[in-house]
Amino acid sequence: MSVITYQQAVNQAIAEEMERDERVLLYGEDVSIGIFGTTAGLVERFGPERVFDTPISEPLIVGSAVGAAMMGLRPVVELQFADFIFTAGDEVFLKAGMWRFMHGGAYTLPLVIRAASGGAGFGPEHSACPEAFIMHSPGLLCAVPSTPEDAKGLLKEAIRLDNPVLFFEHKSLYGVRGEVPDGEYTTPFGQACVRRTGDAVTIVAWQNMLRRALEAADRLAADGIEVEIVDPRTLNPFDRDTIIDSVKKTGACMVVEEGYRTLGVGAEIGAMLMEEALPYLDKPLKRLAIPDVPIATDRRMAEHIFPSALAIESAVRGLVG
Amino acid sequence: MATDQRAPILKAFQDALLSRRFEERVIQLSMAGEIPATLHPGAGQEVCQAAAIAALGAEDKVLYGHRGICYMVARGTPLTAILADIAGREGGTNRGKGGVMHIVDVPHGVLGESGTLGGGFVIAAGVGMALKRFGRGQVVVHFFGDGTSNRGTFHESLNWAAVKKLPVIFFCENNGWAVSVPSTVSHAVPDISARAHGYGVPGVLVDGNDAFAVHEVMSEAVARARRGEGPTLIEAKVTRMFGHYIGDRQPYRPDAAEAATRDPLPGFRQAVLDAGILDAAAIERLEQECAARVDEAVEAVRAAPLLDLELALTDAYA
Repeated sequence: MSVITYQQAVNQAIAEEMERDERVLLYGEDVSIGIFGTTAGLVERFGPERVFDTPISEPLIVGSAVGAAMMGLRPVVELQFADFIFTAGDEVFLKAGMWRFMHGGAYTLPLVIRAASGGAGFGPEHSACPEAFIMHSPGLLCAVPSTPEDAKGLLKEAIRLDNPVLFFEHKSLYGVRGEVPDGEYTTPFGQACVRRTGDAVTIVAWQNMLRRALEAADRLAADGIEVEIVDPRTLNPFDRDTIIDSVKKTGACMVVEEGYRTLGVGAEIGAMLMEEALPYLDKPLKRLAIPDVPIATDRRMAEHIFPSALAIESAVRGLVG
Repeated sequence: MATDQRAPILKAFQDALLSRRFEERVIQLSMAGEIPATLHPGAGQEVCQAAAIAALGAEDKVLYGHRGICYMVARGTPLTAILADIAGREGGTNRGKGGVMHIVDVPHGVLGESGTLGGGFVIAAGVGMALKRFGRGQVVVHFFGDGTSNRGTFHESLNWAAVKKLPVIFFCENNGWAVSVPSTVSHAVPDISARAHGYGVPGVLVDGNDAFAVHEVMSEAVARARRGEGPTLIEAKVTRMFGHYIGDRQPYRPDAAEAATRDPLPGFRQAVLDAGILDAAAIERLEQECAARVDEAVEAVRAAPLLDLELALTDAYA
């Protein structure tokens, strides 16, 4: 094992896949430097034919990736900020998501759209965690890695898959360090990871909310409350079984997300539990999410509406109390 | 006429004629309620479409516009497959997922069409990026209307294709109408080709009813793209003879009756005769052959089973 940052993990994943497959391209705005530094050094290593900057043209970035993918290339494109999936809405939802279907499966669309999501201080149009929108839309796979190990393994897997993948890298995690296996590995889509075992409450959380849930769990453990924390890792495909199995043990479920509350991922998990696991639930579902307002630029105001570790801790106490 | 135009012009005439006869039959069947009226008629624009496609090679790619079926006919997609896509029968190209608007035939280089108007530009740019990378001298042509040239995707794609010298030909069929909106109220500059200047690429204006001229400018654009010199914006002025869709009575269009008479096919027929490419007897035989091929496709599709409804759940993922 070696210890690297989440950002280095993303960089290594791209480099390794570019090394093993000539068809992999990397492009987007400022990828030569990497707006967060993530893709730095790749143009020097793989050359400007395979790694290049684009104009500020998000529909072109995603739409051209669809065109290149249908011809057999495997583009990895960057949208910088996850909010920009809406700038390229036609290309993300209707082209990447639907062109294979609409054309009767005539081709595959192996492309990865990387985008930095979440975090405080970036303003209403640069802060979204829009994974629920992707989860709601057909044809698009979605990964939300929480650790350097998963960032690398899931991205390598995403590049090898034959379907379009939205790969959300949480801005607050870029500097986080963690162990990654040495040598070749990939992380499969559709397999959640139990980050902490317990019997009091099942908490479903990922990325920055997972970190906060783990922090809350430590404090709760001091009082003898052991929560179980499930990290879904990918939202499409979505591993229902791991959550249901956990709920069978705990009898309670709480979803913590950095997306909007209404019709968020938590709403879907709640509905899924109603349909498939109601007999195991002793308590109502609890959702912690962002109220349905845009995220203010002011960091303190943004944090004011994000679920905090303290809020998670308090909500768990409310559930078990 | 350059001698090397004889074969492609003959092909263009055959394709345009077959497309017209086929489309006339599709409209009849639609009006009779036998098949859905989902086609956007291409009548008046086939000469231009067929002449442009006649300049392509077998390995080249096409992303087409929504007006008519000449693009696929000219690339070699069987009429039976096209009609099956319209009729929701087995034997089509997209198994009910896209219908006539999204006919796809990868072996013939027909890559599909955007449902959102103007959505094809960026796809074409990506196809061009791939073709350039393959380095085999292939080109992609994207057919689009004057209306979609107002999408931001037009700008983004033309700019990028010019920057990267992509082998993409942007082929505008300017019929002056975006559904019910005339270009006089939506374009400050009447010629789409004039916009090419802003991207540093050649902008070529051509009479879309003149197959020889269309083939010539298209051949130049293809050669330029194959040489690695990048994209060309071609604008062909054409006539939309009928409404936007089958049954569109065009109350918005003062010249509707007159437009229906502005058919370029008789002129093309005369030009083919004058050039000695075909004589009258050969054209008569061609007409009979087209009628027979259309009949054959109609009978084949009538005999084909309806699509299995469970197909609605397939193909979303690989």
